[in-house]
Amino acid sequence: MTSAELSRFLFSPMTLVLYLASAILYLRAMAAPKLDAVDGKHDGSGAASLRWATGLAILGVVAHLAHVVVRIEASGRLPLGNMFEFSSIIALTTVLGGLLVIQWKMRRPELMGFVMLGAELTLVLSLLLYSDPAPLQPILDTWWRAIHVTTIVISFGIFSLGAIFNALHLLRDTAESRVAAQAGSSFGPNTVGAAQAPPTDEDADADQTLDSVPSRVEADVVDIDEADQDAAYRAALREVLTQRVAGVRAPWTILGGVALVTLVFSLIWWDPMVSVQMVGTMAALTLVAWWAVPYLPSATTLDSLTYRTIAFSFPLWTFAVITGAMWAEQSWGRFWGWDPKETSSFVTWVAYAGYLHARATRGVKGRRASWLGLVAYGVLLFTYYAVNLLIVGLHSYGGIDQTVG
Amino acid sequence: MGPPHARTSGTGCLPTLRGVSKLESSPPPQMNPPVRREPRPPSVSGLLVAAVKENWRRLRTMRTALWLLGVLALESIVATVVPQEINVPQTVADWRSGEAGPGEAVATVLDAIGAFDVYASPLFLMTLLLLFTSLTACLLPRIKAWWRITRHSVPPLTRHIGDQEHVEQITTDLAPDAAHATARGFLADRGWRTRDGDLGDRGTQVAGEKGVVLREGGSLLFHLSFYVLLVAIVFGQLLTFEGFVGVTEGESFTDTEIGYWIADPGRWFGPEDHSGFQLTNDEFRVEWFRDPQFGGTPRTFEADVTIETAEGDVREATVKGNSPVVVDGFKIHLLGWGYAPRVVVREGRDVVFDGFLATTVNDNGAFRGAVKAPAAEPDVGLDVFLIPYAPEGDDGQPVITGAPWADAPLLVFRSYTGDLQLSAAQNVNTLNTELLTEGPRGGLRLGQVVELPDSDVTVEFAELRRWTNFQVSSRPQVPWLLLGSALLLLGLLPALYAYRRRLWVGVERSADGRTLVTVAGRAFQRPQAFEEEFAELADDLRAALDAPDLTPAARDEVAPR
Ligand code: HEM
Repeated sequence: MTSAELSRFLFSPMTLVLYLASAILYLRAMAAPKLDAVDGKHDGSGAASLRWATGLAILGVVAHLAHVVVRIEASGRLPLGNMFEFSSIIALTTVLGGLLVIQWKMRRPELMGFVMLGAELTLVLSLLLYSDPAPLQPILDTWWRAIHVTTIVISFGIFSLGAIFNALHLLRDTAESRVAAQAGSSFGPNTVGAAQAPPTDEDADADQTLDSVPSRVEADVVDIDEADQDAAYRAALREVLTQRVAGVRAPWTILGGVALVTLVFSLIWWDPMVSVQMVGTMAALTLVAWWAVPYLPSATTLDSLTYRTIAFSFPLWTFAVITGAMWAEQSWGRFWGWDPKETSSFVTWVAYAGYLHARATRGVKGRRASWLGLVAYGVLLFTYYAVNLLIVGLHSYGGIDQTVG
Repeated sequence: MGPPHARTSGTGCLPTLRGVSKLESSPPPQMNPPVRREPRPPSVSGLLVAAVKENWRRLRTMRTALWLLGVLALESIVATVVPQEINVPQTVADWRSGEAGPGEAVATVLDAIGAFDVYASPLFLMTLLLLFTSLTACLLPRIKAWWRITRHSVPPLTRHIGDQEHVEQITTDLAPDAAHATARGFLADRGWRTRDGDLGDRGTQVAGEKGVVLREGGSLLFHLSFYVLLVAIVFGQLLTFEGFVGVTEGESFTDTEIGYWIADPGRWFGPEDHSGFQLTNDEFRVEWFRDPQFGGTPRTFEADVTIETAEGDVREATVKGNSPVVVDGFKIHLLGWGYAPRVVVREGRDVVFDGFLATTVNDNGAFRGAVKAPAAEPDVGLDVFLIPYAPEGDDGQPVITGAPWADAPLLVFRSYTGDLQLSAAQNVNTLNTELLTEGPRGGLRLGQVVELPDSDVTVEFAELRRWTNFQVSSRPQVPWLLLGSALLLLGLLPALYAYRRRLWVGVERSADGRTLVTVAGRAFQRPQAFEEEFAELADDLRAALDAPDLTPAARDEVAPR
């Protein structure tokens, strides 16, 4: 087996299958313990699924890393030279970020199924761009580029995590607010966890030096409210999601959205097989998300996770864009030329700054900020897929000499 | 709708400081009933002032900033999708003529709104101006408030210490006074701003606050760095110089106003700002990966040059793709290269052309150039293709390959006679064949000479060198841009990660005669981070008060050390 074949085998099927299996088990683990809790029993199947899921995810990471090492061996360079390699490392970052931070540090394994599915989707898409390991043209071979590309890719991976939470938040929040609207007071307002109103002070006027104005507390991770644990609440969430809204059942709206997104993607890859696979994968993904709504953390928690993930990635992206300009200054003799790629990463930056602003302002409430976050991720995807594949600029990743000559 | 001050704080741009400013400025609600003024007939100037004030207030809101950022993003997206004149002038020309793109009509509209040069369009400049005005309007009060806080802010005491998000109780044998002093010292040592208070029958209290100066300061630094960047960009545009010149191996060029093929000086860069150095291209080297799989990917790419400054200092240097050479503040980059075949054209015994052609590579791997010999009678023009690697096949005929290495160079040409029309501007590497008649073609190996049939014109492929495309640039703004970027990052980190939190330590004498210390705290941002910090602080304070025993309520909240 040549190293090119080995690298390919480790990637597909090995990594892809392991990640997918792990995703399925994570999803099962997410649903299992809570279903058991309805009648007060834990038969341990959730915990067992979780152990297996984690094990498979780690095996997947090992296969993925082995694939990367073989590639480095074969091409003698950093494995960040073309779009396939970028996608691969982006997905690796997403998985590692999920395992290390979401599962082990924050103890939210119920979100891991989606993290793995997101990574899987990125990797399947990257297969379309697969290329065997090859050396890099000398113009690309600089330290600035290494720093620039590494940080861009890592921050892309983290933004992807944020986008997953962001989408789940919108879904969960929709369900929660519908339940709240229908059930009136029985389940409380939609932001269940945020209802911890700060203490109010009746005799504030008496002494101004006292803490008379309890200031706004940023809604951040608040533990799942009792109501969430409540099976009845989950059943209600499930119920509202199957109701008709504007004459359409929720799953169909989702599928419609998927079809639309697929159409846009098909414009980029004019390939019916790809479109079919895209529809299949995205539809499966959204239906899974829809099915999972009752088991998700509360909307408040998801919102806060989204914010924290994006706030973590934003400085990284900023840094990456700055080093990109330095690389351009060094290699092309100009630091910024409003090349489509440069413009587009600037727009991405502005879009995420918009999200952070929206989150920091009182005027724009949770859901709207969340939509902004999704738009920002859309811009990021545009920067990556559309600009790289459709619009030719100095930043082309074809592999054959284009920058020089 | 609340009283005026409440509205300002709700829509204005001081979210982080809201708590403080309210505390310091707002009178209690009962003392500020909605005042009904007698309606006065409005004067014109009064209306004008009101309108200006209202717009200024609106400009300051973060919502406006968000909208402006959105517009900025939208314009930039247009610049990504529509070809830009500064990047791809030819594509823009094709769009305008309708040869490419969505058609002439759409192109006219695009042109009218400046979409082909977004970053110089009035719309974009307008957005930028509004954004910076908004930013300024927003920052001025924030800076003032921040300054006030750094100097005077003291945290408030609380009457509801037991109702805070985090509460912990400690019993100690220290006297209340001593416990109070310990707590204050404890907080002060850790960088908390503190205040002491006596709550009468509820004992004494130390209030502490931390993080507000850092977070808001970071945010201010972040936003202020935009001004540094803007000034650097604007002045940079004016002071910059960029020039391109091709130099054949063995030849040289001098940095003067007229020394470049293309020169693009900023408005404030005059002829006297050139440094007058001379650069000689001694040797250009390029090597490729030659195995069939990656064939044609270059491996090295560099030029050995000799530079003589205007003062007469001589030094040798190597310019590579990624490592420019700096002379007197001018950066010399290697941007590209091509083969430079020396072609000699003779008419009878007279040499009518003798020079190196600066050929450029085509898609098929051939290097294209042109010979223009107006000295001949009539004008002679040659359309020249240099094929670097055309080894002889079994039949003795050259096999054309796309490989770039010049191991078996072959020069082929199409000849023309007639009028070259050199009085009009034209590309050096192409002929204007309008008034030319095509003549015979020919192919030459290095050193060969051919005679064109039916004429006394001969063409010689005398020598093969390479030429290198250098970019020379002076950008005094770069260090300032770096400074701006550094400030931006430096401000961004605390703006996102520093967090404001308050801590209260209440000291009372308990029923059993010991001293009861209540620690309470809350964070305004990043509650998780504070949760850990609070637990640690409470632990440390307990140690400082030397009181290992906790009240039962607190015991299960704090992990034992
Ligand atoms: C290119 C333009 C801008 C960018 C990239 C930008 C970016 C940011 C970022 C990243 C934050 C931190 C958000 C947080 O603390 O969570 C922030 C905060 C803030 N920005 Fe901007 N900003 C821009 C323009 C403006 C303008 C024009 C205004 C005012 C009109 C403004 C007002 C504010 C305010 C008031 C905050 C503080 C919010 C808070 O911390 O609670 N910004 N900005």
